[in-house]
Amino acid sequence: MASTAATRTTAAAAKFVKPIFSRDLDEAKRRVRELYRAWYREVPNTVTLFQLDITTRQGRDKVREVFDKNKHVTDPRVIDMLVIKGKMELEETIHIWKQRTHIMRYFHETEEPHPTDFLSKFYRGHDP
Amino acid sequence: MLRLPVVGRALAGAAKGGLTPSNTVRTPVRAASNMVEVFVDGKPVEVEPGTTVLQACEKAGIQIPRFCYHERLSVAGNCRMCLVEIEKAPKPVAACAMPVMKGWNILTNSEKTRKAREGVMEFLLANHPLDCPICDQGGECDLQDQSMQFGSDRSRFTEGKRAVEDKNIGPLIKTIMTRCIQCTRCVRFASEIAGVEDLGTTGRGNNLQIGTYVEKMFMSELSGNVIDVCPVGALTSKPYAFTARPWETRKTESIDVMDAVGSNILVSTRGGEVMRVLPRLNEDVNEEWISDKTRFAYDGLKRQRLTQPMVKDNSGQLTPTTWEDALTRVAGALQGVQGGELAAIAGGMADAEALVALKDLLNKLNSENLCTEEVFPMAGAGTDLRSNYLLNSRIAGIEDCDLLLLVGTNPRYEAPLFNARIRKSWLHNELRVAMVGYSVDLSYTYDHLGEDTSVLKGLANGTHPFCQVLSAAKRPMVIVGSSALQRKDGAAILSTISTIAQNARTSSGVEAGWKVLNVLHRVASQVAALDLGYKAGVEAIRKNPPKVLFLLGADGGCITRADIAQDGLIVYQGHHGDIGAPMADIILPGAAYTEKNATYVNTEGRSQHTRVAVTAPGMAREDWKIIRALSELVGVTLPYDTLDEVRSRLAEVSPNLVRYDDVEEANYFKQSNELAMAVNQDLLAAPLVPPQLSIKDFYMTDSISRASQTMAKCVKAATEGAAAVEEPSIC
Amino acid sequence: MAASLVRFVRGGLGRGFNVARSSCLLQQQTRLQSSTTETRATVRPKDAVTHNQLAAFGEYVAEIMPKYIQQVQLTCYNELEVMIHPDGVIPVLTFLKDHTNAQFKNMVDLTAVDIPTRQNRFEIVYNLLSLRYNSRIRVKTYTDELTTVESAVSVHEAANWYEREVWDMYGVFFANHPDLRRILTDYGFEGHPFRKDFPLSGYVEVRYDDEVKRVVAEPVELSQEFRKFDLNTPWEVFPSYRDPKEAAPKLDAGDKAPENK
Repeated sequence: MASTAATRTTAAAAKFVKPIFSRDLDEAKRRVRELYRAWYREVPNTVTLFQLDITTRQGRDKVREVFDKNKHVTDPRVIDMLVIKGKMELEETIHIWKQRTHIMRYFHETEEPHPTDFLSKFYRGHDP
Repeated sequence: MLRLPVVGRALAGAAKGGLTPSNTVRTPVRAASNMVEVFVDGKPVEVEPGTTVLQACEKAGIQIPRFCYHERLSVAGNCRMCLVEIEKAPKPVAACAMPVMKGWNILTNSEKTRKAREGVMEFLLANHPLDCPICDQGGECDLQDQSMQFGSDRSRFTEGKRAVEDKNIGPLIKTIMTRCIQCTRCVRFASEIAGVEDLGTTGRGNNLQIGTYVEKMFMSELSGNVIDVCPVGALTSKPYAFTARPWETRKTESIDVMDAVGSNILVSTRGGEVMRVLPRLNEDVNEEWISDKTRFAYDGLKRQRLTQPMVKDNSGQLTPTTWEDALTRVAGALQGVQGGELAAIAGGMADAEALVALKDLLNKLNSENLCTEEVFPMAGAGTDLRSNYLLNSRIAGIEDCDLLLLVGTNPRYEAPLFNARIRKSWLHNELRVAMVGYSVDLSYTYDHLGEDTSVLKGLANGTHPFCQVLSAAKRPMVIVGSSALQRKDGAAILSTISTIAQNARTSSGVEAGWKVLNVLHRVASQVAALDLGYKAGVEAIRKNPPKVLFLLGADGGCITRADIAQDGLIVYQGHHGDIGAPMADIILPGAAYTEKNATYVNTEGRSQHTRVAVTAPGMAREDWKIIRALSELVGVTLPYDTLDEVRSRLAEVSPNLVRYDDVEEANYFKQSNELAMAVNQDLLAAPLVPPQLSIKDFYMTDSISRASQTMAKCVKAATEGAAAVEEPSIC
Repeated sequence: MAASLVRFVRGGLGRGFNVARSSCLLQQQTRLQSSTTETRATVRPKDAVTHNQLAAFGEYVAEIMPKYIQQVQLTCYNELEVMIHPDGVIPVLTFLKDHTNAQFKNMVDLTAVDIPTRQNRFEIVYNLLSLRYNSRIRVKTYTDELTTVESAVSVHEAANWYEREVWDMYGVFFANHPDLRRILTDYGFEGHPFRKDFPLSGYVEVRYDDEVKRVVAEPVELSQEFRKFDLNTPWEVFPSYRDPKEAAPKLDAGDKAPENK
């Protein structure tokens, strides 16, 4: 009985907002897991194909970090949208449409942190 | 040079009263029952009798298109663009010149009105060239905008167009007279506001031309304003020609620092470069005009700039270095001397933030030797009482005043906008002006009482015949130029003038709160520096040569290397390599007024602030930041890291400095006079001669305008005639 | 060419309810307009014939598909615009493509407009051309960042890359698109540049780094300011003389939206 009521409420909710793919959060989570698994499997290939200077472990940590960045999202539609974009990135990586520079952009290794104290900021430039 | 006829004055007075109720020109307060009710498009509006149709519509929130009408000029009524239909009137009337009658219904958007506008526009465009793509007014052209709005969208013109020869009226204003629509705004501006009868009309009908009769330079310190006044592209800016379009520039509201008036300006920038400077409306300061130096000296901001820190090497050459190196050297020098061997001089363009930072730094190093370049007598009350060094009656106060005594000043070139106010009051309010000092052309007539200081003495002890006039005045003002106080007997002059003012204040029936004593400063930083407790004048430094001298934009040339200790070190912080930089051992590049958020206090004590329009060139930094960074290296870190914190420090020292656009009242005239009495100094016999006598002295007075090529051209044109300045023959 | 359009309009209306009245009216208006000559030389003459034909056709289309069509309007330059509910993309486009009297077989353009103030911020615009009748029509619908729109590829093959472009530039997801991926931006690019909240300067700047021997992307730090245009001055001079703004099209008529199938 309770389960039918639950489906009814989700159906009512679905009436107001059109889902992208997932009807509820569980389904969206499943899609995220699928995507994560695909990325996880792809990392060793990527490291060898792109001849990256990182270990598979580092790559997988980065995948995890990128996924974790959005872990606060609970709206299934937003999750779906993120999954769509993640799939797109994955596809670009698998087909080697991307180049090393695109992959390495995830690692932000050349960015210098902004100085915080007055004197360093002063030496660095005009802006505070 | 005659004053305006009565009708013109009445109209102008009505214009002021009707349009800007906050204006300080007093129009007699009428009883409410005296108001006339008219209807604008059926909407009732109550206006004063004598208001024109155009002003009534403005009051109802409807702007009538116009070309010749300008609210600060007399009414000409010759462009006919403001034609509107009045219900039951046989013909459309010119709204700018027609006073309203009771019960009129003004139709501002009726078929007849629109047809009249369209017709006028067609006639105006008949003789106007279609060269908008190469016209500098394009994008801000009244004719363009209004033909877009009110003109027809197709032409039936097949005849030839009139062509008029261009005139060379100097290096500032470019004329393309074929574009002129004969609105005569420029002629009226020149004769009414600028007080120079240089422009006029010749011929009539189709052959009417604006010009100078014989070819000569338009010799006025306010000449640039005709560019703004011109509704079309007939008068445009020569330095700005073909450089930018108004829609691609970014506008930053700022403050001018070329003189002590603190005119409100709009800095137009594009891609990190100042393209031009325009006036910004401020009824209390500059109305909507600015002086030529303010408007055209901006090209000096791109030349002679200090862009990187420099240090004098062993061979005596200044070599570029890094900030770390330069600041460490300065810090080392500051740590190596006692407080008493340390001094600082602030120049005329230093902002309040930098001034307070420098003062805090030196005070932390146990030094009190902080001076301004501008001399001000320190004897008597000196700079302790604010009323002693302010233009107490305010700039707008001129319009309430009925008698003005100028002492040793030439306001026309020291503060052109202030002079324009005096002229306005002289023209409309029957202001009587008298002058002690060198007889200069002020664009209005005045009673010349003499050049000598003996006149002052006579005025002070009541023996001079003018004293009767002075005591009869209801609202007199005595204005002393800051240059007069720079003399050896400055204190005596100030004390004498203080006595004259105090006598006038007590003897005549001056209403309470009216201030008589006024000082007209010449540099933008002076009032803020004195408010912050700087000493005026470098006498103290001469007497006690310091080992380390810090120059904060001091380019007045009041001090030389000979004035400091033998092996002393001079640090110059500023934006131009002018007079101060060459004698320095270490140069710290600062930002000019368009490149920093900075507070300036004008001569009346009004605190205003500039805004960042462009970033400072090269490695130059905002001035207070340099001092803040230096303080950290010296080991006495100043407790502020952001602009807001500096400003709250300013507020601690002197709260009026951060109350922007507010004038803090100064008082204690009596006490100040009593203190001044104690000055036992004799007046010197030398005549009072202000340093700027004619227009050639006006253009180049500070480090920015001295670096400006435009200003150099102006000096050349003013001395040798407009034809002497060769211009590329474009367009 | 005008005649053919008249014919199909009448043909279209012929299948409606009130043949006689409408066509009579149309003829009357046409005669009236052609008999009065334009005397005002200063105003752009109105082409009443085209206007009436398009208006009639728009009315006809709206009558046929009341479920999806929310509003039909004609712009000042005689362009027919049909505002539809997002669910109606496929039926309306199919109708316009295949109906004998429409024959809009050519998809000239498909694009989007971002209007952040609206509840459904994106307006999707389909421009169609009928070569048969030399006529154009514009179909508009709406969506937001998270609502999908049905892909028009099944109706018009030409929509494929246009929809990829809209997806890339605005982030509107087209459901059932055969190959929806980026088309203009670089791989790894984040964000949708044509959205109004996307800064003109972007978020990252790229440069070649000598140390890592490749192009690196870093957060944008503009050393030179980008050009910003100030466009609001000339037309604001006489606000009271401007014509009142046209009412916003009823694109957001959510209450009219049909039930989900």
